[in-house]
Amino acid sequence: MAFLITCPLCGPRDAYEFRFGGEDKGPRPDPETLSPEAWCDYVHMADSRFGVQKEWWYHRRGCGTWFTIYRDTVKNIEVSSNDREADQ
Amino acid sequence: MKGSSIVMERQSPVHLPGNPGKTKLRDHWPVVLEYADEGPGPWIVDLSHCHRWDIQGRDLAAEAAPGISLPDAPGAVTLPGKMLTGRTGQRQAFLWVFDDKAAAPAGECWTEVTEGTFCLALLGRNVFQITEKLTSLDLGDPKRNAPYLLLGPFSHVTGQMVVLSKDPRNAVVLVAGTRGFAHDMVHAVLAAGEEFGLRPAGESRFLEKFKSLPRPDVPEKTRSAARKTAASDKPKSSGRTRSKIRIGPK
Amino acid sequence: MNRLKNLPTLRIDAERVLSFTYRGKTCQGLEGDTVATALYANGVRVFGRSLKYHRPRGLYSLDGECSNTMMEVDGVPNVRAEATVLASGMTVKPQNIKGSPEFDLMGFMDGLSWAMPAGFYYRVFHKPARIWPAAIKQIRQAAGLGTLSPDFRMKGRFDEIYPAAEVCVIGGGPAGMAAALAAAEQGLRVILLESRPWLGGAFEYRTTADSSGTALFESARELARKVERTAGIRIFTHAPVVGVYTDGQVTAVQRGGADQSFDERYIEIRARSVVAATGCIERPLLFENNERPGIMQTECALRLARTWGILPGSEAVFSIGHDQGLEAAIDLCDLGLKVAVVADTREDGQDALLLDALAQRRIPFLKGWVAQKAHGSRQISSATLSSLNGHFNRELPCDLLVASAGLTPVTGPLTLAEAKLSYDSRTGFFLPNELPAWLYAAGRLLGLAHFEAIAASGRLAGLRAAQRCGAEAAAGIRDCESRLKELPGPVRGSKFVSAPRAGKKAFVCFDEDTTLKNVDQAMDMGFDVPELIKRFTSAGTGPGQGGIPGHNLPLYVNQSGSSPDSQPRPTLTRPPLVPTLMAAYAGAGHAMAKRTPLHELQKADGGRMETVGDWKRARRFSDDVRCRAEITNVRTNVGLLDASTLGKFRLFGPDALKALQRVYVSDMSRMHAGKAKYSAMCNDDGCLTDDGVIVQTGESEYYFTTSTGRAGVTSEWIRYHTRFDNWDFSLVNLTDAYGVINIAGPNARAVLSKVTPAAVDNEAFPYMGYREFDVGGVAVRALRLGFVGELSYELHVPSSWMAGVWGVLTEAGREFGIRNFGLEAQNALRLDKGHIIIGSESEQRTTLHDLGLGFLWHRHKPEARTVGDGALRHTEKQSGRLKLVGLKMEDASAQPPGDGSPIVDKRIRGYVCTARYSVALKEPVGMALVEEGLAAEGSRLAIYEDGCEGRLIYAKVAKKPFYDPEGERLRS
Repeated sequence: MAFLITCPLCGPRDAYEFRFGGEDKGPRPDPETLSPEAWCDYVHMADSRFGVQKEWWYHRRGCGTWFTIYRDTVKNIEVSSNDREADQ
Repeated sequence: MKGSSIVMERQSPVHLPGNPGKTKLRDHWPVVLEYADEGPGPWIVDLSHCHRWDIQGRDLAAEAAPGISLPDAPGAVTLPGKMLTGRTGQRQAFLWVFDDKAAAPAGECWTEVTEGTFCLALLGRNVFQITEKLTSLDLGDPKRNAPYLLLGPFSHVTGQMVVLSKDPRNAVVLVAGTRGFAHDMVHAVLAAGEEFGLRPAGESRFLEKFKSLPRPDVPEKTRSAARKTAASDKPKSSGRTRSKIRIGPK
Repeated sequence: MNRLKNLPTLRIDAERVLSFTYRGKTCQGLEGDTVATALYANGVRVFGRSLKYHRPRGLYSLDGECSNTMMEVDGVPNVRAEATVLASGMTVKPQNIKGSPEFDLMGFMDGLSWAMPAGFYYRVFHKPARIWPAAIKQIRQAAGLGTLSPDFRMKGRFDEIYPAAEVCVIGGGPAGMAAALAAAEQGLRVILLESRPWLGGAFEYRTTADSSGTALFESARELARKVERTAGIRIFTHAPVVGVYTDGQVTAVQRGGADQSFDERYIEIRARSVVAATGCIERPLLFENNERPGIMQTECALRLARTWGILPGSEAVFSIGHDQGLEAAIDLCDLGLKVAVVADTREDGQDALLLDALAQRRIPFLKGWVAQKAHGSRQISSATLSSLNGHFNRELPCDLLVASAGLTPVTGPLTLAEAKLSYDSRTGFFLPNELPAWLYAAGRLLGLAHFEAIAASGRLAGLRAAQRCGAEAAAGIRDCESRLKELPGPVRGSKFVSAPRAGKKAFVCFDEDTTLKNVDQAMDMGFDVPELIKRFTSAGTGPGQGGIPGHNLPLYVNQSGSSPDSQPRPTLTRPPLVPTLMAAYAGAGHAMAKRTPLHELQKADGGRMETVGDWKRARRFSDDVRCRAEITNVRTNVGLLDASTLGKFRLFGPDALKALQRVYVSDMSRMHAGKAKYSAMCNDDGCLTDDGVIVQTGESEYYFTTSTGRAGVTSEWIRYHTRFDNWDFSLVNLTDAYGVINIAGPNARAVLSKVTPAAVDNEAFPYMGYREFDVGGVAVRALRLGFVGELSYELHVPSSWMAGVWGVLTEAGREFGIRNFGLEAQNALRLDKGHIIIGSESEQRTTLHDLGLGFLWHRHKPEARTVGDGALRHTEKQSGRLKLVGLKMEDASAQPPGDGSPIVDKRIRGYVCTARYSVALKEPVGMALVEEGLAAEGSRLAIYEDGCEGRLIYAKVAKKPFYDPEGERLRS
């Protein structure tokens, strides 16, 4: 996990300064409208893309900001959003 | 004991070795002004007694801190008078006060965090040789002009590092962090500094260096358009003209 | 031994003699010696015995590609003698021997090699299965080289350093030095890492002159002086690179010494560009007994003489495959070595000048010949040479056989960086054909041999590296590229791999005693890929980190034709590239633990401090592990607990209430002034993550507490769960800003009223109340909660005042005999009341309902989208869950069951969370999570304790709280 992650406030830092917050799944849906199975899927199921995905990271050893990056899960490095489009 | 005045002393989270020469009690906190034999440096100074404030809010400049110049960009630092302000995020900044006579800032957005943190200064020569053993962050980054702030790991725990001077023979670096780690942090810093002769110094040593720091220019947007002035007409330092900061009573 | 003197290349100081002991006898070495060279100078030829066959092993290379010379130095096993600088007073011992290296009693193992074919570990010792336990015991005793006792403590000073630079250069030979100078010229900060004690690389000791007439070593040293004078280049010698990682991260471990502040230190660099100029090692020649003491590589023989002034033998045979081998034979002959013959595996292509020089010295030269077998039981006594076709052979007596198949590039750092390597048939090297954007390769590892070409390739790499960092280097790069075109390019390298009829005792890997025959056996069994053959035969998996099998293994496998690839493929390398002490990775090793403001006072009072999460806390204050006196004191009198580690937060801002509603399950809009509200936070599965009390301290301002373990992640948690909402609220972590004193017991009020002017009677300050008043003149926040089940006050005191306020309380409590209680006492006390501790009575799957805390959840706040809301609704009536119950032992005089003991019948039905002997009730009590079917009051629980061997103990589900069920005491 030696790759660099770009924190929006602090700039590129060692990945170990951060905590992984999961794939970006968008704002939480209203649990009232979902069946237990659908809610469980929202909480626990992930796309697990082989390629570029958008995900959340928390700068726990630094400024304490939650933010998203695009990461290539095959090469395990941060990529720009342009690479994300190319990957689609 | 009921209702009696306080006879106890406050305790700093930082305990430095050495013989205190001159000390002063400030608000029940024994502050070492000078150690008996401070030597030629580098020095470590305990500044934990200095008031430190956290300020958070949506619009810091306008609502939260009228009269106090807070920097705009995260990572930026200003030095108004005997104080230091740093911007740590879009909606967060801090104020460190080295003037024991300054009144406390007012307003909901302010939280005093003096009690929850320790603050150390590393001064003099070899400071960056000491800090490069404690953090992988590039404190002496040639691309940045002092003063600036870094938030990140220092001796493996989260810290705030403020670089006030990068001069390799006369550096000034401040490190603040969570109070609980102070004991082990000081131990790590003293161990890292041993080969360079790191010794404790009192508050006076820090204030002397702090006072002689060049103040950073007033931020771009407040500078008026350039005018032709004779050299003798120029004010001594554009920073100084804004220095009469009023912090209202609580 | 007489050393060569007056050589300009020497790195020893003949005047400075150092004494050391070897096998108890005092020996002498010189300053500048390594342990290996000092031993060699003292006549040591057998340095140790090999892993499996206990074959004698000696000095083979000087860069530690094998574990032949790993020795015990000053009590530390597995020290690489070749890399360790000799210090006065060192104690050196050989390893892996029974008896002496010359007469090792385990030497008979060599004769049993037929019984240990490739992979025999996997196939022999478990048929039948019952022999495995005995076999594993024997294997464990035979495995490894050095020995270590379980209570071994590493001595020495270790440190860590994170130097900053834009460009990191790996390798201090001419290519690396040129790269560093080029980048520094561009104004960048450069770090140069070199594993040897000095810069200069492969040219540092060579006396051949280049086209201008300057000796190569002089050119190399001149360049080194230039680098040392350049301010922007930081040089780390004695610093082999151990790891290369994504995005330009490089790690190295540097050896220090008595004159430095460290013995070893970890270096970690994050550079924008990295240049790998690691050069070459030699490719071992494969023939029968190719690892006998007295056989060594070309560079080893030459450097022993040129750098350390030690003539490596008296009568030598050379079997080489490259011009440098010829150069070494000539130079050593001139230094006094008798060279009986030079055999060259090449039929042609030798440098004509070198051939002339051989002829001038009347050294017989055989083209197309190779060493076939070494004779001699402990050291070489003669060598048989053979023509490549095997027809002709000759045996010659010798005490030194210099054997080398040629050069092979050091590709370790490239492989770690996930560069793609492919086989180049001209050079015979694995060359990089695809590098990550931040990595550049230069020098001998690309197949270059000409000094100027190597330096130019280094300069080019340095300029490209600088360009990536933003330097204007385009013109310089163009110039350098055209210059390189004019200079000699990559040279033809050696293809040759093994001698004819090499097999049973031709060792591919010295560390693991893997022979060519073993490789053949693996291929016969169907293994066809070098990576798998490597693992099956364990070739290259030893301390030499693959330096000896290196590229020989894939080349041999490819030659056999059994590989599916037409081109050879290199095997993988993993960090660390050289054997590294765990202590070096630990660096300065400062444990960063948090201390409360009362730490010293607690210790002075006899507190037994333990690490609990981030903190040091007092477990108890006496030797009694049951803490009976502490517990009794709280139940009957008054005790003090340091609870400073509790999380504490200030929350404010227009949307503060919204944030609270999002994370707390209760309806946080209904709070009363001066009253603390107890609530819980759950995760999206409705499982308890934290509990605490919240107090409203202003119109839109709150002060709340969390458990110790969650304090560090509370801000993260709240911000995560509100990240899409764009709410305006602020959180300040005040955990360390206040220490907390918990004063508990029937006499608590009596003590407190002595130290504060505020009214603290039950009406003025009821249970669950929140007040702010002075204690000893210091402003504190006070909460009346009841965790331990007695009248108690939680005083939140500003940290710098804590010791003082503690003193005031202990003074006031003296007439009552107030005393400390610790975590263990607190644990037992709260257990009496059935109060939970998160992580003990709950686990990741335990919902609020399972714990009987469902009443905290307010289900009618749908706009809040409280975290856990949906799951709490779904699991409210869910069956098949574990439920928290209280338990009492059937036999009141029994010991309480151990925490975590499973509850069983035909299968596991739950487990005991916590159980302790209750001082107040005079019987054991506990809490357990059990299946619903066992949750009814009175159900019988069968408990299986660790080590009970089937003898179950029995408890019954009992109602909780066990003690003071009406809560009269804590509400008093």
